[in-house]
Amino acid sequence: MAVNMSEQKTDVPYGTLDLLILKTLDTMGPMHGYRIARRIEQVAENLVRLNQGSIYPALIRLEEQGWIRTKWGTSETGRKVKFYSLTRAGAKQLGVEVANWERATALVARFLGAES
Amino acid sequence: MKLRLAAARLRALFRKRRLDGELEGEILGHLEMAELDGMAAGLSAEEARREARRRFGGIEHMKEDHRDQRSVRWMENLLRDVRYGMASLARNPGFAAVTIGLLALGIGANTAMFSIVDAVLLKPLPFPEPERMVRVWEDPPGGRNGTTTLTFLDWKRQSDTFEALSVECPTRAALTTDGYPVRASGKLVSADYFQVFGVKPQIGRTFAPGEDQPGAAPVVVLSHAFWQTQFAGDPDVLKRDLVLDGEPHRIIGVLPAGSFDRDEAAYWKPMIFAPDQLNRGQHWLSPIGRLRAGVSLAQARARMTALRASLKDVIYQKDWGFAVDPFAEMLVGDTLRRSIYLAFGAVLMVLLIACANVANMVLAKGATRQKEMALRAALGAGRGRLIGQLLAESLVLCVLGGVAGIAAAYLILHAAAPLLAASLPFTADLSLDLRVLGFAALAVMAVLILTGLLPSLQTSFGRLSSALNQAARGSSSSSAAIRRTIVIGEVAASVVLICGAALLFKSLAKLQQVDVGVRIDHVITMSADLPSAAYPSPESAARFYQAVVQRLEAVPGVERASVSQGLPLQGVQWGEYMTLPGVKDFILVRLKLVDAGYFGTLQIPLDSGRGIEDRDRAGSPPVVVINRELARDLSGKFEMSNPVGRTVSIDVPGYGPIPESRTKLEIVGVIRNERTAGLEAPPELVAYIPLAQAPRQDIKLVVRTRNEPAGAVSGIREAVRQIDPHLPLGDLLTMEQVKEQSVLWAKQPTWVLGAFAGVAALMAALGLYGVLAHAVTQQRREIGIRMALGAQQGDVVARTLRSAVSMLVMGLAVGLAGAFALTRALKSLLFEVSALDPVALAVACVLMTAIGGLAAWIPANRAARVDPMTVLRNEG
Repeated sequence: MAVNMSEQKTDVPYGTLDLLILKTLDTMGPMHGYRIARRIEQVAENLVRLNQGSIYPALIRLEEQGWIRTKWGTSETGRKVKFYSLTRAGAKQLGVEVANWERATALVARFLGAES
Repeated sequence: MKLRLAAARLRALFRKRRLDGELEGEILGHLEMAELDGMAAGLSAEEARREARRRFGGIEHMKEDHRDQRSVRWMENLLRDVRYGMASLARNPGFAAVTIGLLALGIGANTAMFSIVDAVLLKPLPFPEPERMVRVWEDPPGGRNGTTTLTFLDWKRQSDTFEALSVECPTRAALTTDGYPVRASGKLVSADYFQVFGVKPQIGRTFAPGEDQPGAAPVVVLSHAFWQTQFAGDPDVLKRDLVLDGEPHRIIGVLPAGSFDRDEAAYWKPMIFAPDQLNRGQHWLSPIGRLRAGVSLAQARARMTALRASLKDVIYQKDWGFAVDPFAEMLVGDTLRRSIYLAFGAVLMVLLIACANVANMVLAKGATRQKEMALRAALGAGRGRLIGQLLAESLVLCVLGGVAGIAAAYLILHAAAPLLAASLPFTADLSLDLRVLGFAALAVMAVLILTGLLPSLQTSFGRLSSALNQAARGSSSSSAAIRRTIVIGEVAASVVLICGAALLFKSLAKLQQVDVGVRIDHVITMSADLPSAAYPSPESAARFYQAVVQRLEAVPGVERASVSQGLPLQGVQWGEYMTLPGVKDFILVRLKLVDAGYFGTLQIPLDSGRGIEDRDRAGSPPVVVINRELARDLSGKFEMSNPVGRTVSIDVPGYGPIPESRTKLEIVGVIRNERTAGLEAPPELVAYIPLAQAPRQDIKLVVRTRNEPAGAVSGIREAVRQIDPHLPLGDLLTMEQVKEQSVLWAKQPTWVLGAFAGVAALMAALGLYGVLAHAVTQQRREIGIRMALGAQQGDVVARTLRSAVSMLVMGLAVGLAGAFALTRALKSLLFEVSALDPVALAVACVLMTAIGGLAAWIPANRAARVDPMTVLRNEG
């Protein structure tokens, strides 16, 4: 059995939103919430169903951990919004999360391989 | 990382509003940008708006998530509960005032009492390494005794055992200031005295080695308090002299503020032994010492025992050993220790009763709130949250009660400290320090558990669904049963306290009824100390006695006057062996030195022979008058049926430093017993020796006045001043006050326990009242129906009273059982009263019943006034 790659949209896999946000900020540099959400949707090519609002609780969680920091800036519409950027600790954490993710997928892949 | 998280969340807690605003802005920005993108992709403005919202997801849900993410949930709940609790208390100010008052009283009294317990019994002495401080004694079979100068000097040479060893003798001297001379207390000590305590002076120095040797210049060290009062804290005091009995003493140092300020002594000066004092006859010194570091008490004792063996040829009392005791143990007597434990136990009981009362009120409140709780539970509040809410309310109560209690403790200590000072050791510092505040915090926590947790468990664990149905009707029966049990417990605890107080009061009454053996009304007494410089010889002192009595008896309003060493009830300083010629056996007698006017002034009647008369002066044949007790002992021991005319030998004390000398005395009379020790002590064997034949420097003036003694004081002072303008008088006390002082040990615990028992009884009555009043309120409907069906007012009253009586009777039974078990602890404080004295216990029961009955009468009366029509109309 292969991972379902059909046209059907799936939710963002549990626990990966943090990783997606960190990776986005790592690649794209400082950006505000809407752009982060859009970027994740674009990269996922509309494969995942993302409630854009759900990134805000995730952002505050990451900020509390000290992995991202915020700065006030102005949006394209001229409104004062927060711009999020990766901290050094965040960059390190990204490495950790990527490694975790790879380990986890490798493990799952191995199980699935053994079963089939 | 954890810490950072906690900090971030705490910060968030206090910036809730701002953070919410920021989030709002971000959401709006997000939606606007999404709309712009949508329109750029060709959607209409309306479509773009809808699409943006759809893709964002539930806004409110997200906000809630966001808040959860950043906040400390339980803390917000707690703050909300506390706010709610305060609001709920504010709605019910009567309840709040009563509970906070009860808790403040309980916690305050306990905190104050703990401060005393801590200062007297728990805290180490306020000196460095206090466990090294010891008292050293000679140890005759009958108990500890002072030592002689030469033996003390032998001890002092044991420098491998003692780092410092010092004598400590109270002394008094006249301070020469303008006007009347002032009497100041001080201490004569060895040069290393302050090393024993490890006390460093605040300014100047303490005594140097050698300053207690003959020929040293006179120096003194001042207490901090004396420096403040007498020298106004003059920083240049070291350049000044303190003039004692006319002799200037150079001030070399001032002690730091603290323990020594609570001591009577204002100054310390070196004790320089006179050649006459270098003997092994006078046991007059009680040394204190500091063990050398590393020397244990057991080692010190062993070395002293060895030393005693090596001195067996010079110390003739074969069975007297040497004893070393920890200094701390000697500071607190058994009676004081017992009294303090007793008072602390009683006050703990008061706190428990206060808690019971508050718990009871919380329960009653909980019962009426059953419906609210049930509703909240039905709406989904977890049991933990409900308990949390009730606990938060109790927390508010307890914290407020605790704060008020600490304030109360401060006031109590402030008021009590001066009254207790004389009964407590000088090292006891009664203050609200951190330890005491810690105790108060512990008490608050215990109270919180007792008054909050238990009732809230009870309230929330009741079946909530059924509560919804029946809460509007009468109270739930399990809660009522618990409340009745609590009241029974309160009554029982109060009964125990009242029984204890009743026993102590009866004992005190008995003690005060003891016949002193002298007429104590209209007698005023004073102390004086004749300085050696002005009164160098026994003759000079004897001349003073005669002159002063003559002058005093000429003062208007004075009936008789006399001079003596010591007063009734204050104990007799001298104990000596009385022997009969040719008989080996001896009797240990108390030796009292009195002048010819003593028996007359105090109106002690003669049994036989004559009293002491003016003809018994220096040079005339030495005589002695004995008391009835001694006469009885003589007849029992030596079959001496009529002691008058017989000759006995006694060591008679010498004048000043002159040691006592064996003297043959003729017994010339027998007088009735006076109480020489306390009222509680049986009459002692006393021999009275004419003061003129054995003059003393430390004397008492005893004056019988015709009218109120206070009116004669100025005349008496003036009379003494005419004889010796430099002689100050001290300890101005009527004999009635002397008697009061002698029963203080019994009086203080009695009144303290009495006060606690009174408070406990009132609290128990309040509890009883509360339960009955609550029951009556809850049962108004039932009572109304009964009355509508023909019940008489009397029946209704009887029903309520029956309930009260059942609680009272159970409480009395349990309380009496408790009293039987506990009053034994009082035994050592009781005088001629059994710990199970039936009268006292009966009085206690009657008192409790009366107070309880009064408390029950009010709600019973209210029940009788229920108007059936009103009740049925309201609730039908």
